Amino acid sequence: MSEEPMDELTRLLREEYNPPPEAPRDEMWAALSARLEPRDSGVIPLEVARRRRSAPVRRSLAWGAAAAAVLVVGVGIGRMTAPMTPTAPPVAEATPDPPTGTEGGVLRVVAVEHLERTEALLRMVRADGAAGKVDPAVGAWARGLLTQTRLLLDIPQGQDPSIQELLEDLELVLVQIVGVTEVAVGNEARAREELGLTLDGIERREVLSRIQAVVPPGAGLAGT
Amino acid sequence: MTDTEVVGRAQGGDQAAFRALYDANVDRIYRLMYRMAGEDDLAQDFTQEAFLRAWQRLDQFRGNAAFSTWLHAIAVSVALNGLRKVDRHRRRERSLEDAAPVAAGRRELDVGARERLAEAVDDLPEIYRTVLLMHDLEGYGHGDIAGILGVPEGTSKARLSRARERLRATLGDAMKEYVG
Repeated sequence: MSEEPMDELTRLLREEYNPPPEAPRDEMWAALSARLEPRDSGVIPLEVARRRRSAPVRRSLAWGAAAAAVLVVGVGIGRMTAPMTPTAPPVAEATPDPPTGTEGGVLRVVAVEHLERTEALLRMVRADGAAGKVDPAVGAWARGLLTQTRLLLDIPQGQDPSIQELLEDLELVLVQIVGVTEVAVGNEARAREELGLTLDGIERREVLSRIQAVVPPGAGLAGT
Repeated sequence: MTDTEVVGRAQGGDQAAFRALYDANVDRIYRLMYRMAGEDDLAQDFTQEAFLRAWQRLDQFRGNAAFSTWLHAIAVSVALNGLRKVDRHRRRERSLEDAAPVAAGRRELDVGARERLAEAVDDLPEIYRTVLLMHDLEGYGHGDIAGILGVPEGTSKARLSRARERLRATLGDAMKEYVG
């Protein structure tokens, strides 16, 4: 596809089609700043989380601590969300014995457990989203899973690259879900719009099918 | 302070840092919004809405692209959604009235020619018009446009080419006397 040099018609367009005046910077800032609410979602921004992630940590300490923390948080979330996932057994019981002596094996088991819980959340959000709403209680669930996701991402070089990439996409989707539940309080129109973007993100990143590709068949929460 | 640091501070809730990001980007954003909307009120609304949403969604900025690209993507989305709710031809009437005095004193199009030109651009499919305005009128590169619209660079080039073809086909010889 060739890029043609600007011809006379283009020059005419540049001069005649909606030529912009100087931006009224201060006027717009005055109106804008009155609408800027303090940012305090309680969620660590993606960029900050990623910077922290890149900080050097002793691997043996990091993976062990993170895996243990994920299990603990997972049990907590399992209890907290029990009414929403009634067939879910306590995570510690559902976790198969890890392959002995292999950090990667343990980590994979923990990650798979986490992905199953995340899948359950995403399916609920998608189902709610089809009705144009989302249960505000989902926010606490998503926050917990976001914390777990970040714990898993904090493990340097301990993760299967495909799972690592999936976790990074899930991190973004979970941040969006938390955001939707916060917007939902008092601003339904914007909440619907944000929900639409979130659902679009779930579909576009194909996170559900990617989770299914990682989670072994029959290993779903309901069946373990 | 680097851009990354400024963004990081804004993500932490620092409004002064966000003001710095505003100052660095508002002129380009407003220009593009004005080109797309054709009137000051709408351009200001879209610009403010874009920055407001950026502030609210800073958590979601991943740093994979430049902040400016991310912000432009929000702004273009805001404008396109906003424009779908407005009758573009009705806006055109107001825009032409506003623009007439600006052109006085130079080799100017008569009202009829200006209207034909504007209608030809207005009638372009949205995907072609957006690329045409960004590239030919505001000087964005295809790499930037691709990042902002979330399409491959080749798609940006193809859309520009089609937009130009359609304009030439629509306008035919109507602009000949003005383009020399």
